[in-house]
Amino acid sequence: CKKWVEYDPHDDFVITEIDYLKSEADYRALVVGVYSPLQWLNQVVPVSDIASDDAVSGGESAADVLSLQQIDDYTYYPVNATLADLWQVSYEGINRANYLHQYKEINLAGQTVNFAGKEALYGEVYFLRAWFYFTLVKMFGDVPLFTERRLTLSDSRKLARSSKAEVYKQIEQDLTAAIAVLPAVQSDKGRVTKYAAQALLGKVFLYQNKFTEAATMLENVITANAFALVSDFGSIFLQSGENGPESVFEIQYSNGQGTYDWNHVTRGQGNYAVQQCGIRGLNGSGNMPYASGWSTNLPTQNLARAFETGDQRKTVTILDIEAYKSANPSFNITYQAAPYKNTGLYNQKYLPRKGETSGQVELNYLNNYRTIRYADVLLMAAEANNRATAANDQKARTYLNLVRRRAFADQLHDITAGGTALYDAILNERRLELAMEGERFFDLVRTGRASTVLGALGFVAGKHEVFPIPQTEADGGLTQNNGY
Amino acid sequence: VKGKVNSKAGVPLEGATVSVKGENISVITGAGGIFSLSVPQKGSILVVSYMGFVSMEQKVSGTGEMYFVLEEVATSLKDVVVVGYGTQKVTKVSGAISTLKSAEIEKLKPVRVEEALQGNVAGVNVIQSGSPGAKPTVLIRGIPDLGGTDPTVIVDGIQQTLSDLNSINPGDIESVTVLKDAATTAIYGVKGGNGVIVITTKSGRKNQKTELNLNSSYSVQEVISTIPVLNATEYGAILNEGSTLSGGNIVFQDLSGLGAGTNWQKQIFKKAPIQNHNISARGGSEKITYFISAGYLSQGGIVGGYDKSRFNRLNFTSNVSFDLSSKLKFIVNATYLNLNSKGVQENAFNSIIGSALNYDPTVPVYNTVPNTIGQYGFSSIITREIYNPLTKLANTYNRLIGHKLYGKFELQYEVIKNLKLTARLGYTKYDGNAKSFDPLVFWGLNNTGNTLNADGTTIAGFHNSVTHDKSTASQLIYEGFANYNFQLANGHDFDITAGINLNKGIGNAAGASRQDVPYNSWEFADFTAATGTTANNNTNGLRGSYYQYVNRHASGFARLNYDYQDKYLVSFTGRRDGSYAFGTENKFGNFYSGSVGWVVTNEDFFKVGFINNLKVRGSYGAVGSDNNLDPKKVLVTIQTDYLSSLYGSGNSIGYTFGNTFYPGATVASVANNALKWEKQNQWNAGFDAAFLNNQLNLSADYFEKRTDGLLFTPVASGYLGTIPPPIANIGSTKSSGIDITAGFNTTITKDLRFTSSITFTKATNMVIKTSEDSSWVTGGNYFNGQSQSVTIFAPGKAPAAYYGYKTNGLFQTWDEISKSPTQTGAQPGDIKFADINGDGKIDAADRTIIGNPFPDFTMGLSVGVTYKNFDLSAFTYASVGNDVYRAFERNDNYTNKYRAVLGRWTGPGSTNDADHPRYSFTDANNNSRVSDRYVEDGSFVKIKNILLGYTLPSTPITKLFRSLRVYAQVKNVFTFTKYAGYDPEIANTGLLDTGIDRGAYPQARSYTIGLDIKF
Repeated sequence: CKKWVEYDPHDDFVITEIDYLKSEADYRALVVGVYSPLQWLNQVVPVSDIASDDAVSGGESAADVLSLQQIDDYTYYPVNATLADLWQVSYEGINRANYLHQYKEINLAGQTVNFAGKEALYGEVYFLRAWFYFTLVKMFGDVPLFTERRLTLSDSRKLARSSKAEVYKQIEQDLTAAIAVLPAVQSDKGRVTKYAAQALLGKVFLYQNKFTEAATMLENVITANAFALVSDFGSIFLQSGENGPESVFEIQYSNGQGTYDWNHVTRGQGNYAVQQCGIRGLNGSGNMPYASGWSTNLPTQNLARAFETGDQRKTVTILDIEAYKSANPSFNITYQAAPYKNTGLYNQKYLPRKGETSGQVELNYLNNYRTIRYADVLLMAAEANNRATAANDQKARTYLNLVRRRAFADQLHDITAGGTALYDAILNERRLELAMEGERFFDLVRTGRASTVLGALGFVAGKHEVFPIPQTEADGGLTQNNGY
Repeated sequence: VKGKVNSKAGVPLEGATVSVKGENISVITGAGGIFSLSVPQKGSILVVSYMGFVSMEQKVSGTGEMYFVLEEVATSLKDVVVVGYGTQKVTKVSGAISTLKSAEIEKLKPVRVEEALQGNVAGVNVIQSGSPGAKPTVLIRGIPDLGGTDPTVIVDGIQQTLSDLNSINPGDIESVTVLKDAATTAIYGVKGGNGVIVITTKSGRKNQKTELNLNSSYSVQEVISTIPVLNATEYGAILNEGSTLSGGNIVFQDLSGLGAGTNWQKQIFKKAPIQNHNISARGGSEKITYFISAGYLSQGGIVGGYDKSRFNRLNFTSNVSFDLSSKLKFIVNATYLNLNSKGVQENAFNSIIGSALNYDPTVPVYNTVPNTIGQYGFSSIITREIYNPLTKLANTYNRLIGHKLYGKFELQYEVIKNLKLTARLGYTKYDGNAKSFDPLVFWGLNNTGNTLNADGTTIAGFHNSVTHDKSTASQLIYEGFANYNFQLANGHDFDITAGINLNKGIGNAAGASRQDVPYNSWEFADFTAATGTTANNNTNGLRGSYYQYVNRHASGFARLNYDYQDKYLVSFTGRRDGSYAFGTENKFGNFYSGSVGWVVTNEDFFKVGFINNLKVRGSYGAVGSDNNLDPKKVLVTIQTDYLSSLYGSGNSIGYTFGNTFYPGATVASVANNALKWEKQNQWNAGFDAAFLNNQLNLSADYFEKRTDGLLFTPVASGYLGTIPPPIANIGSTKSSGIDITAGFNTTITKDLRFTSSITFTKATNMVIKTSEDSSWVTGGNYFNGQSQSVTIFAPGKAPAAYYGYKTNGLFQTWDEISKSPTQTGAQPGDIKFADINGDGKIDAADRTIIGNPFPDFTMGLSVGVTYKNFDLSAFTYASVGNDVYRAFERNDNYTNKYRAVLGRWTGPGSTNDADHPRYSFTDANNNSRVSDRYVEDGSFVKIKNILLGYTLPSTPITKLFRSLRVYAQVKNVFTFTKYAGYDPEIANTGLLDTGIDRGAYPQARSYTIGLDIKF
């Protein structure tokens, strides 16, 4: 009878962890699994846009996706489905990376699996772990830090938060390790390169106000001459512009695996955030390029006004639907005005386009997130040089004006100022160049300008610099952020 | 010899067996109790027997007619009931059981046998669904856990499931015994936790002349009521008001032409037929007895009618028993079924009913827009999610064909007198074959769901698709057990049962789907005709799936029943259960129970004239529940299949580098080696009594049970990632309740008999503990512009209770808002929510219990009268205290509304009723959050059944038959309820979905005429 009720997982053809990690292919497959949570984090971008002065939540009504509405109004509290998901997903990425780290030298069966490129492969793993910790630390501040292994159920409710400084130290360590082993070029588009790691490390330094280190690190990317600004700003955000000459790191999405799973909306290969940006009930002739969506994450008039005349980035960033409609009468456009918080403006960079999705159309837009663009690297380098101990405004202006010349297609708009004025110009340029790309809110917070700029919208200094950690985590023994 | 058999009350007994003692001659009495047969010689002895009456012998003395007057036995006392692995005389039962006999089932003519349990068996709560053939919610003695609440079903000794009751013809059932307390269920051990329903099918009797039965009936079903929604004019006016109040434009410039518009509910509900035909024969010789039957049931659904929604069942049963020798008996039971059904989308705002409730009433039924395909009209303002329900129905194509074979082979060997060995092999084999077709559809101009253009051409990128699913499941059960009973001197009676059980289930399912069905037609909807292929950006061109499982259990069990002079009753039961699904640390579990009884009336000192029988009983014991555990929960597994990771847990893998997809891999599960069954301890106290010459029977029980080690999925810290935490034995629940059954049967005059029975069932449930951190599970999900969940399973609260905000009237003025607890977004006319925790602000912490879908108690009342050849029976069922949650409104700006909106707040003082907040397109106050605004009292009294029968008197024509009865029946005659929806009785697929009305399929009223013929 004992034998009769024994369970052998191979009866069910189930692969257990003892069966696994026995070949190069197994290691490589698990590393792909560490990339997946990058895709699930697509709501970080709308959260940052909506939390800033650049965009409002919109949607069907005041109750449509409450978690985003509350972020727009600064009324969010520790029970917030979007924030809780981003927290959990970041940690899934960390656990997946840790699992590979855990069995790097010896697998569960006690064997060592060596293969060419293993070190470089682990460079990707450490980059990704740094990415997930960086996402956590910039959103939540102090967070639990663990690096040795995948946690198990017995670790639940046992951890405490580590200080931001410790988390940043780990991020720097992972990225430094990654830079040492990663190749400059990967044959797969979208795989982490040495430059991506250097750019990210530069950004991490900036977030800690380590300007001198940031400048040095970012110079590595610039002097490598591996990237260039494309002349047509709008082309970056087209399908044809994906993984282009300006792309340092892009989170990859595709419509090649069109799914239908409404139960796990961010978990496929498509970019769900694109559907959110779309214009409601949009209809028009066959050659009208856009598809309809949910009028969420709407750019504000404030953002629209921030662009100078002649800035080619304005129409690429913002679609004024009425203006577009009258400019293109042949499209016979009809649409429903955004029912809630209508601004009349839409996020053109990530507006859903016909033919770019598949399966359940809302879930599968192919649009990559242009996560680290060369323009971003230039602007970060400008900022770092302007603020470094040994400031170099000359260099800073050069990098800044590279970005501006592309924007205005002339040299008439070059910035000539230095010092604080230059600093202000750089930050303003970051807002315009990277608008609706998820940078604004975190930039405002890290530069200490959030309460000045966002105070009128409800931002409370000393509280809203970080989001609340999920209530379940507070219940599990973690200290809640101040003010929540 | 000719003669007549009457009861003592003077009622002719048809169907009584008259046989010649010692000869193989017998006959069955016909209408009027009349018989005639030839006897070999004068002086022969005739034996007359009839179920429920004392048999009688009489010598053939002359040539005149012989009269037999049979005396009725107190049936409730002499009956033998089927219990686990044996039978027991009712008088000796000290556990809590209830029994339903074929006569009572036949009175109701149910489609599924659970229908007959509702209100007729105390301690059992049945919540029926209106969907043809659908499984109802059945709870025996409350809600012990979160997951599987279905009782175990045993058919002729073989374990099946509640779902399998769709494949038993109620006409083939001899008796149903419901085992309720631990004393009676412990012999089923880990399967006993939710109670056990033991079904015994009919068989023949030895030396029984062939009895041929023919039953035929035809019914028409119709919807009982419709849900009040706005007509076109009201709808136009409300939309205008909602739009303008939120700063928008007028939607309908001119209301005058709108009129009443289309009532979509009237369009989707159809009259639907039920046909039910059965033929059966039973009989037996000295060595062989048999029961064979064939039946056909066809029930159409009232949503969409027979073409779109139906349940058809064809069954053939053959139960044969052979005496191979005087000691060896061989029994073969076999039933084959063919199930054939079609279904419509149910239970969601965008289902057929949901669409009918929410769709634009200004739209005409038929399409009149030039240059557009499509038979039915479409809305210009509702262009997504909710579609014309008729277009939806017309594009619904599916069918499910199931073949099932089940039964047993059984050998019984009587080693010595009273020692019987039984070896039994039970089997169930099911093959399902499902097909569905998703055509390309033009829903209307500008509709975002369109896959066809207005001219009928396909929109680029879209495909129709056909999906096939074939599944097979089989269960093999081997049981060997011994029954031994013996008497010692002075009335010590022992009855011992012991045995083992081995059980193995295997199954698999394969599916395939393919796009591009020719001509976008159901006619060609088949994998072989479709032409789709998989391309890089279309993984669904051609897809396949496969799934398999295996499970194994092993058990040993024993029971000792003892009584002393039928006065003192004692019973002990033990079972040891092992399951492949349990963790390595807990493969086996032991379950014990015991009961005692005292038959007071058998005491010499007890002589109370009007009390004929009084027995007091008590029991205590442990049973378990394995909740259909998945053994993979005890392993760390690696996920390498992208699609199953995506559609399963959502703990997905895979990444696309450039345009190249890599499926990836990850750790997919966490192990819990300590996983085991849930353990229930239950005690029961009750009594059975009979009064007034056994005319009045009363049985009552009180029980309390506590479940520990409740299987619950703990909430793990988010930093563990997205792997679902493994299920663990961490919770506990408590239930207590009362079951009462009373019956009163009397013969008033020779021609007039009266029978009645009443049941009362009450169960109170409470969740004591879930996980360490008191986490809870939510359910009852619905969508009304926001994804909502309304039910919870949380410590300190009743399981599946509704959880949300309490309302406290409406805000009348800004001043009132400023003086009230902070409520973001509120303005006058909005709902004022109650500040439950008193912290001065309204937030999620103010949610509280706002209702409970399960009744405080239920009652059933069954009354029957026979007068001469007429018989009349009626059954009424009451459910008191169950709440319904109204969740069918999509609540989009342009969708149709529940009529309550007409009483909306229009200015200070207009109304303070939270059911009627102001109406505006924008709702910053979130008036549509989960609140008691949507909770309605679903208490009801339903006249479930009225049946009038007439047995034709003996005439030359009717002499061709032994009896001929015609009847007329009305089901769901009338419902008394405050609930304004279709039906307050709402069974959904899961416990946590009970009582959520998302447009639930209502039960139909049916009118039946039928014919019962005996040959």
